[in-house]
Amino acid sequence: MSGKGSREARREERLRAEGESEQGERRKRLLQIGSAAAFLVVAVVLVLIVISANKTSGGDTNLEDVGLVAKQLKGIPQNGLVLGESSAKVTLYEFGDLKCPVCKGFSEEIVPNVIDSKVRDGEAKIEFKNFTIIDEESTPAGAAAIAAGAQGHGWSFIELFYRNQGSETASYVTDEFLTEIARGAGVPDIARWDKDRKSPKTVAEVESTTQEAEKLGFTGTPSFAVEGPGSNGLETLGTPGSSGALEEAIDAAS
Amino acid sequence: MSAPSEGTLRRVATFVAAFGIGVATYIAIADSGGGSPVCIAGGGGCETVANSTYSHLLGVNIAVFGIGGYVLLLAASLLRGDAARMVGFGVALVGFGYSVYLTYLELFKIEAICQWCVASAVLMTTLFALNAIRMVGYVGKPA
Repeated sequence: MSGKGSREARREERLRAEGESEQGERRKRLLQIGSAAAFLVVAVVLVLIVISANKTSGGDTNLEDVGLVAKQLKGIPQNGLVLGESSAKVTLYEFGDLKCPVCKGFSEEIVPNVIDSKVRDGEAKIEFKNFTIIDEESTPAGAAAIAAGAQGHGWSFIELFYRNQGSETASYVTDEFLTEIARGAGVPDIARWDKDRKSPKTVAEVESTTQEAEKLGFTGTPSFAVEGPGSNGLETLGTPGSSGALEEAIDAAS
Repeated sequence: MSAPSEGTLRRVATFVAAFGIGVATYIAIADSGGGSPVCIAGGGGCETVANSTYSHLLGVNIAVFGIGGYVLLLAASLLRGDAARMVGFGVALVGFGYSVYLTYLELFKIEAICQWCVASAVLMTTLFALNAIRMVGYVGKPA
């Protein structure tokens, strides 16, 4: 009896030890899998951040400066391609091409000062008019801006386009690129925007303002004109080299 | 200090995951109408983030993926056993990693902060901590 009982006790003890060892092994294996997964996720996140940080603003679809543009235009009415209060007495016209690098420079360095000093307080409004001179992609870009303007986001579109502009000679104005710009600009109804930008009426408007610029004698972009109670009708300004020159023209037209 | 009981971890995770479903659902519904979530403190950050190109993945609002993640985490917290522990940890790990990436994007690429995204990131971080403790403390042990 005692010999048999002792054998069974030893057997149970052995089985229990084997069970615990098996459980320990399984636990170790699962923890190793968990650690590997954690390592993998950390690596993927780091790679994503590095890729994202190295993206340039050259026409790619990961937009730059969405927040900056939103901040710059915040609180200023947008109607069509007009920025500013509709009641503003002076209108500054900018004839530009969205693919033009000089226009991008104006958009980043000169126009913001005019917006802050003259448009934000309701003294003047700025109307953007397409003057397509770069290449065949300039027209769909301009039409897309007009379509965004129809939903109150024209200037957001223009400013965001400039900040994500690609090389002048590159072909980057794809449907995808324009859609990303429209989304980034906050255009609420993308389907309607897409239909509007492709309509013959919108394309004709781009061609019409280009002809208007040519009739005014402009040969390059951006070119400016001003009109107000103090001006002699529509006065052409050419391409002033500073925001101060534009501000003086607005003051003179007031 | 001993780890909390698995039951406590599961109960807290259930509550947090349910809250996460609510937050992600609100963001998804606000976006589906062509709008954006409303930042309670104002400032326009929510609108800027919602309008950014990063708010959609493969054409789908990332909040929809968030709802899926929180539902899986809720299920994992309601179930017992190693499979639930491992799935809970795995999903929370991926969710936490993606939250870190999105927070980076908000701070350095979009340059705007959305309170609802921050709320979701905090909830996902909490779920990651709970599920990590649950896995390290209890995986391989009887349910």
